[in-house]
Amino acid sequence: MINHHPKIDLLIQHVNGELPASISAGIKIHSDLCTKCNNQIIELTKHAAKTCLGSQELDSQEFAAESFAAQDHDEEYNFDAQSMINNITEMQAETELNIDETPLSVTFRGVEYDLPNVMKHMSLGKPAQIGKLSRSRILLDEGHIHSSLLRIEAGGSIPEHTHKGYEITLLLEGSFKDDMGEYVAGDFIVLDGKHQHQPMSELGCLCYTVVSDSLHFTQGINKLLNPIGSFIY
Amino acid sequence: MQVVQSNLSNKITGHIISSMHSPIQNTDICSWLHAVAKSRDKSAFTQLFHFFAPKILKISQSKLSNKTLANEVVQETMSNVWKKAHLFDDAKGAPTTWIFTIMRNVTFDILRKLQSNKEDNLSDDIWPMIEMAEVEHEPFSDHLEQKQILSVIDKLPQNQQEVIKGFYFMEMSQDQLAVHLDLPVGTVKSRLRLALIKLRGLLGVNND
Ligand SMILES: [Zn+2]
Repeated sequence: MINHHPKIDLLIQHVNGELPASISAGIKIHSDLCTKCNNQIIELTKHAAKTCLGSQELDSQEFAAESFAAQDHDEEYNFDAQSMINNITEMQAETELNIDETPLSVTFRGVEYDLPNVMKHMSLGKPAQIGKLSRSRILLDEGHIHSSLLRIEAGGSIPEHTHKGYEITLLLEGSFKDDMGEYVAGDFIVLDGKHQHQPMSELGCLCYTVVSDSLHFTQGINKLLNPIGSFIY
Repeated sequence: MQVVQSNLSNKITGHIISSMHSPIQNTDICSWLHAVAKSRDKSAFTQLFHFFAPKILKISQSKLSNKTLANEVVQETMSNVWKKAHLFDDAKGAPTTWIFTIMRNVTFDILRKLQSNKEDNLSDDIWPMIEMAEVEHEPFSDHLEQKQILSVIDKLPQNQQEVIKGFYFMEMSQDQLAVHLDLPVGTVKSRLRLALIKLRGLLGVNND
């Protein structure tokens, strides 16, 4: 059973589109397997929508005056509503849904693994191997945030390490354990600098990992420290 | 140009002022979306545009701090509303939620393009529009329970809503709430207690 879930603050940033693609993709992989988080995301999305777009007061006289009048003083700024409307209504409706269902897969040591749907438009680097570990970078180009697919063969382990920043591990297949317990497919595991662990997999596993150095990720987390303001009102 | 713009802003302001007299309801928005879906109704779309575009513009200006990009978000979001209106199903969710997800996805892809120089448009894979709606339709008991709690919370007095939402959504401690709301801990405690009593009553939960 899935025991590890993303915290609510991450889910809130997720529904607002404020997380890096790598982390939001991890949340998506988890929520596809976790009804509880999936429902929470649905509710949070409704709530965020209501907060952002729902209220009548938001587009009060005040805002209209402020926002649109301000534009009159700014020559570079053209918000020409009518021509935008004209332009858009010239467009064709998208009646055909071309959903590309071809999944992405990765091959480690001759074994092909199908990857979650959310990854289907991501590209992977060449697999690299050390002992019982194989790794393929996910080429998301997020600077200090590095995402990878990590395969631990049966009986393999990762040498004891601490995390400088944060590490998010999403277990895709199989299981592993560390001194804090056993993890199963779908578990969303967040570790930070305080943890020291030595994951080991008896039967082998495949993980989606996101590792960041502390600075930027902590900034993201710090942003959450005034959540009431940004979320509720 | 100046004159034209100023006329336009008057027009929009005027529209908003008039709309304040009779608040726009979800049912209005739904019927506009249906009109666009069925007959590519330009005047219905214009209504939608005047209702949503200023809000989207305001949000994206604060998110992107760049006016050209903020315009792009409005343009892209409203284009998707026009092109995909037939995918909206009011049985599966509120129209604002649907438009919000379009806006969020558009903004996400633009930001990603900006920050990572990638045009992979991952938002549709992370938040697929169609799948979301389908899942929403399934009657999970958890879901219903949460929905019920949310609607009941809205019935609490404002000051109780603040603490209960902080507690419920943010998982904040009473001390954290006190700091964030700039209230004495005692006040937070008593509001929370009152709110919980009221919630139990409204939800019909036994107080044991
Ligand atoms: Zn979960």
